[in-house]
Amino acid sequence: MALLETEDLTHVFPDGTVAIEGINLKVNAGEFLVIAGPNGSGKTVFARHLNGLLRPTRGRVLLDGEPISKDLIGARKKVGLVFQNPESQIVGQTVAEDVAFGPENLNLPADQVATVVEESLAAVGLSRFVTRSPHALSGGEKRKLAIAGILAMNPKIIVFDEPFTGLDYPGVVQVLKEILRLHKNGHTILLITHELEKVLAHAGRLVIMHGGRLVEDGKPETVISRVENYGLRMPLREGEKVGSLTWLK
Amino acid sequence: MTLFHYIHKDTVLHRMDGRLKLAALLFFGLAAGFSSEFHDYLVAFSVLFCALLLARLPVAALLKEMGFFGVLILIVMVVNAFTIPGEPIPNSPFAGISQQGVITGLRFAGRLLMVLLLSVVVTGTTPLARFRDAVEWYLRPFPFLPAARVATMFNLTFLLLPVILDNFKEIMAAQNSRCVQLRKNPVKRLKYLVFPLLDQTLRRADEIAYAMEARGYSEVRTRATFKSTKTDWLMLAISLLVFLFVLF
Repeated sequence: MALLETEDLTHVFPDGTVAIEGINLKVNAGEFLVIAGPNGSGKTVFARHLNGLLRPTRGRVLLDGEPISKDLIGARKKVGLVFQNPESQIVGQTVAEDVAFGPENLNLPADQVATVVEESLAAVGLSRFVTRSPHALSGGEKRKLAIAGILAMNPKIIVFDEPFTGLDYPGVVQVLKEILRLHKNGHTILLITHELEKVLAHAGRLVIMHGGRLVEDGKPETVISRVENYGLRMPLREGEKVGSLTWLK
Repeated sequence: MTLFHYIHKDTVLHRMDGRLKLAALLFFGLAAGFSSEFHDYLVAFSVLFCALLLARLPVAALLKEMGFFGVLILIVMVVNAFTIPGEPIPNSPFAGISQQGVITGLRFAGRLLMVLLLSVVVTGTTPLARFRDAVEWYLRPFPFLPAARVATMFNLTFLLLPVILDNFKEIMAAQNSRCVQLRKNPVKRLKYLVFPLLDQTLRRADEIAYAMEARGYSEVRTRATFKSTKTDWLMLAISLLVFLFVLF
């Protein structure tokens, strides 16, 4: 049984705009899946259905075989979503306070919240910033903080929405290393991006969205040759292989 | 920018129980409102300056950033001096200034300065979360008040204010770079400023709502634990004494 599954997932906005249509996707535990597509292809809308932030017009999302609509809080605990703009995810005035937001929502005892915050910050290497204002962190550190906020909820799946946007080279490397570490530790990773050259070497599967539909799904080596058909830049030069598509040396 | 921002230090004021600090804030606020005689101001300002030093806040930087408020306080003084009727000041080079006006102006200015210093000390030493928890704690006994919701709204408002101010500055800069100052109609200039700001603020609020929901926002949350020490009670007692001194 797939860990996460979407069946005929469709979302139509009130003004009639079809954001996504008929998306069927199965994600197995431990997978590292990259979802790519040009701007406006519906990637973010799709991601926001995976933990029930948006409700589908048609179709459904299944988690461990059960529709997420049955237990939305459970879905949000299991499917962590790291937003494209980490600033919008920050609700705390200090780093520790921000990470505590999720576990406090789960009504964990105060001492357990403190432990979870400590562990989550240690996991992303931000322990020394506990009392710092999140807005004083660098771009890469803000993304790490967003990840720590998600880790504190102990998710099985982590969805990254354009995690490299606006980051400089060290920031991209920092975040990419963090994502790979999470995958190595057993988290299932769904990474939404159009910057394939930064990460594709590490993915086991590449899915392409175009015009709100899922148009390609397969091994990166197979799908990569067709990306230009869907408004994405071909990241490989002649003679290069998918294994070279990483910003890690 | 350090003014009205929390500055982390390890001092008794930073560690103070949020509930007692909120009560102390109330006493000091009332003291500021009731101050009228010179000795009232002397006592209240002495205590506030001691608090400022005790909190180890960057006094020089804060005073520099308070310049704008200095101008505002000066305006209040001047307006009072010229508008309150009373005995004219002998040999004054400015016609229309009254002795009563100057005294009233000084009183107002003193109160404003006291509130300003109080805000600087409180915001500089208290993380928003501690305030939020204290507000929630005080509201909890009222059966029909959604204490958790009020506390969250309080928290988000203060959290968003600096962001809105930053957006405002950015929009202003972007429009100045496109020569908005050449437009003579102030209503149109305001329109070009207010609408984008409103649009961005609402979008930002939407994003925050999504982010909070994604992290399972609930009003049944882990309750904050409070710990008050003898020093905290001493601080509260001092603020109460200042209030009583001013009152009687």
